[in-house]
Amino acid sequence: MSETRLRPALHGKELVLAVIRWILIIFFAVYTLFPLIWLIISSLKTNFEFLAQSPFSLPSKPQWINYKNALTVAGLGRMLLNSVFVGLSATLVNVIIASMSAYCISRFRFKGREKIFTLFTAGILVPLNALMVPYFVIINKLGLYNTYGGMILLYAAIGIPMSTFLIRGLMDSIPMEVEEAAYIDGCGFYGRFFHILLPLSRTGIVTAATFEFLTCWNEFVFANLIVSSEKLRTIQVGIRYFTNQFSTDYVSMYAAIVISIIPSILGYVLFQEQIIAGMTSGAVKG
Amino acid sequence: MKLIRSDRKALYAFMAPALAVMILFFVIPVIYVIVVSFLKWNGISAPALNNLKNYALLMKDKSFSRSVINNIIWALVAGFIQVPLAMVMAIILSRKPKGWKFFRTVYFFPQVISGIALATLWRAIYNAEHGMLNGLLRAIGAGAAAKDWLGTIQTAFPAVLIYWVFYVGYYMVIMMADITTIDTSYYEAATIDGATDFQQAIYITIPLIKKTSLLTCVTLASVMGLRQFEQVYMLTNGQPANTTSTIVLYMYKKMQNANYGIASASAVILIIVGVVFIVCIRKLFEGRGDKPVVAKNVRRAVK
Repeated sequence: MSETRLRPALHGKELVLAVIRWILIIFFAVYTLFPLIWLIISSLKTNFEFLAQSPFSLPSKPQWINYKNALTVAGLGRMLLNSVFVGLSATLVNVIIASMSAYCISRFRFKGREKIFTLFTAGILVPLNALMVPYFVIINKLGLYNTYGGMILLYAAIGIPMSTFLIRGLMDSIPMEVEEAAYIDGCGFYGRFFHILLPLSRTGIVTAATFEFLTCWNEFVFANLIVSSEKLRTIQVGIRYFTNQFSTDYVSMYAAIVISIIPSILGYVLFQEQIIAGMTSGAVKG
Repeated sequence: MKLIRSDRKALYAFMAPALAVMILFFVIPVIYVIVVSFLKWNGISAPALNNLKNYALLMKDKSFSRSVINNIIWALVAGFIQVPLAMVMAIILSRKPKGWKFFRTVYFFPQVISGIALATLWRAIYNAEHGMLNGLLRAIGAGAAAKDWLGTIQTAFPAVLIYWVFYVGYYMVIMMADITTIDTSYYEAATIDGATDFQQAIYITIPLIKKTSLLTCVTLASVMGLRQFEQVYMLTNGQPANTTSTIVLYMYKKMQNANYGIASASAVILIIVGVVFIVCIRKLFEGRGDKPVVAKNVRRAVK
């Protein structure tokens, strides 16, 4: 490809293309980063500095107190814990159920397999927001309105098709021979699952778990729908209320948003490969 | 693998939880919205058959038709502006220019930040008094153009639409994964023949990803466009004068008023619009039997 070839000095059309290429690359990067940097800088100003000075001035002294306000006044700490708890629980339930079904779909040919498969595919494409009314009713009927259990169940459930796809994809890539040897040695259905397939499909499971947790962490619509108590609010629902709570205290609100974004960005930078693998393979297969 | 009888039981036990979830949270809810869309029901008194009246009411309601139109515009902008931009960036970054990993990471940021946080950030940017956009305009001496972006009828919907168009990371990454699977010998041969990078993109890359990742991305982007809720909810709540509403926001408001029949009918319309979009996009991409064209382009590029 081009980098292996000795490039002569660029001229004419090639030069124009190279310039356009770099303008685009930098434009998209600035477009993404600039607002985030502006948000962080604003969150370190005093309200007076923010309201009276140019939006691009720097704070005379970074106001870390805004972050303290956001954590204490808005109860952000509690919301973060709620999000972590609900996200981890839902992810655990989700990944257990999904790896079981992925094992069946990947390893066995049975009656109805094709139909189940179609159902999972449709499950990925259906606009879940359109199902707000039935989800609201189902969670109520199960007596789970305004409970952690309701959120955990709903989050685990709506991620099942995607997680099954991701884990199945990895299981499909494990050759049958690995299992057949164990099968001949008398290793049963459960033994093959726990001792062979599960350890070998670790990367697929981590991908599914990362993807599921991120989805839970960022989810707003259903958390807003099935929870009313302030004590159970997740961080995303919290953000919606900050805007009222901090109607005059802009800088603390921005600090709160920065706090809510940090775990997403950090998690992404740490699990980048898994998240990208999950989002791409899921999308291509879905 | 062959199933022996004792395995069969275990298999059903293993499949059962996922199947139960699929039935309870996917099959039943879809049937449910369809049934309720024919009912008059406020969640308290007994539901009564309402025939097609919910749909008739929706057709007459201007704010609903506005929501449908907004969603269609949203889906088209996502599928036919955002995705092509993402494709251009995917082609550029898959040539691995300096720092491509850094740029890929940065472009992907908006994808891992929640819709609510992003919308709140953009509400601050669009703010009339101390927003970043107006500040930027004043700084470059175009202060006259500064306005209340989300409060003015003419600019509210474009403002809601435009900010995410340049967040191309997600689709870009999907297409990059596809582009890396293309056989490099195509490009080598084309380079020897003196084809420019631009020509290689037009004659090799685009035709080869068209039916795979490009189709996937256009479909995904459009479907996402039809689902929109958090962003409008947070940015404008449909205001001013309902010009920025979407179907899901409309549905949500009807639900808040315990008007479950109408809410469900709008959900059914959303699902139908979604299916129509998916089918049309497939037709558009598969329509003219262009497999041979791809092959010809590749051959031409290779020669």
